[in-house]
Amino acid sequence: MIEAHPALRNRCAIVGAGNSRLGQVPGVSSLDLIIEAIANALDDAGLKASDVDGIICRGPDESYSHHQLVGERLGINARFSTSLDNGGASQILSVMLAAMAIEAGLATTVVCGYGRDAWSRTHRSEEARQSQRTRPESQHAQEFGPEYGYFGAVAAHAFGAQRHMHEFGTTREQFAEIAVACREYALKNPDAQMKKPLTIEEYFKARMIVSPFGLFDCSLRSDGAGAVIVTSAERARDLKAPPVMIRGFGSFNNLTGWFADENMIRTAANQSGETAYRMAGVGPADISTTQLYDCFTYMVLVQLEDYGFCKKGEGGAFVQSGALRLDGRLPTNTSGGQLSEAHVEGMLQIVEGVRQLRRTYPRERQVPNAEIALVSGHGGNQVCHSTLILGRSP
Amino acid sequence: MSEGASERKASKPRPRPAPESKPFWDAAREHRLLLPRCNACGQFWFPPSQRCAHCLAADFTWAEATGRGRIYSFVVFHRVYHPAFESDVPYVVAIVELDEGPRLLSNIVGMNPDDVRCDMRVQVVFEDTDGITIPKFAAVS
Repeated sequence: MIEAHPALRNRCAIVGAGNSRLGQVPGVSSLDLIIEAIANALDDAGLKASDVDGIICRGPDESYSHHQLVGERLGINARFSTSLDNGGASQILSVMLAAMAIEAGLATTVVCGYGRDAWSRTHRSEEARQSQRTRPESQHAQEFGPEYGYFGAVAAHAFGAQRHMHEFGTTREQFAEIAVACREYALKNPDAQMKKPLTIEEYFKARMIVSPFGLFDCSLRSDGAGAVIVTSAERARDLKAPPVMIRGFGSFNNLTGWFADENMIRTAANQSGETAYRMAGVGPADISTTQLYDCFTYMVLVQLEDYGFCKKGEGGAFVQSGALRLDGRLPTNTSGGQLSEAHVEGMLQIVEGVRQLRRTYPRERQVPNAEIALVSGHGGNQVCHSTLILGRSP
Repeated sequence: MSEGASERKASKPRPRPAPESKPFWDAAREHRLLLPRCNACGQFWFPPSQRCAHCLAADFTWAEATGRGRIYSFVVFHRVYHPAFESDVPYVVAIVELDEGPRLLSNIVGMNPDDVRCDMRVQVVFEDTDGITIPKFAAVS
């Protein structure tokens, strides 16, 4: 493969970050949630909607050309505007595309955001809940799946966890540490959906969903939204908030499929990360904190390996060393993540990366000396991956 | 009593084959496991499509597979996602890697879910239900 050119290192910055109410927010549509998050991000940046000339977002699954609805609600026209379709990898991809559009001179100030009403949508009625459970993975999956009782993202990721356990001796105790670490962070986050402590014993007592995953291996169904504002490094200097620099980014997509080769135990985080590290001019040892896409506990563990924070097969030992905790080697998912803060498909991971680098949190939540953050996105049918490396303004 | 959905027994989703998979399902009815095999490069692929997944050649044959392979990975469904599977839980869904190369999603039948392991050798078995035959796998005895 051709070497990526690090042309966009530190050329753009995130100058505003915001989230909506999170968790159970009945009676509010996903569109209203994203507008709430964008309004907060604009406030944070000291900008008005009329300053925005780019919108990149991913629509909720049932929405067509979602960015048009967002623009209409913001009351703006835009130079650059589109919706993305890479599942949980879309949110970082939107920041990547924003930086590329700004650098190409197609826009100056781009809003990236995502919102969903996944909790409300599945709790309106039993009928709604049922249809959500058995919704096919794709429009084409009419065979080789449902007739075998194969439904949902839990099982797809559980396959990866099972194979990883088989090859490397990874254990559910190690998955439990990830769930518990995320929960402890969530307890310090007033916006988080989960408010009660979680112990290892409770993790093991919880019902199995699709083994090897039990209830607490699975992320939340949440209502919520997040948004960030991207602009050029030059313009960022004149704005209210201290800018957080976009140091590097990358993506990789194992389009041959999650079941193919070793894709479920050696994920696209590897190549996506290499591209991002190269652009950023840093390596795993330089990262102060990670915000990893945690749709399931296992995905945190395998990404730690694939991003090079430990060797392949040693993710279990790495998490058990306490590395993910605030006083550990690599504080991870410090807002509680999708396992315990809220599941907004990776958008809140970007917001948290920005906030940690601003160092404005109270000490109990602040990663000490946070300098560089690595944020990840993972999705589609498990095979699309994106990586964002953020840094403090030099 | 009203004729609510809960009164009727839910039926399992039946495969709705894409046109290119029809020979697979037709052969299953005769208890044969057929896979597309490329006449240009000789390799098998799955799921079925009109071009070889390895070299994009259009010239292929439906060839009979041995039906033997290994479990690449598996999961055990405890939660009922679909009411028709309520009496089946816990049941095993596996990715079976056939000796010919392709990986198929299927069920592992005839054994306790607790005894299933990755890399276990398996053999196809055909389950005739309700006018359709579904290839599943069992441990090689």
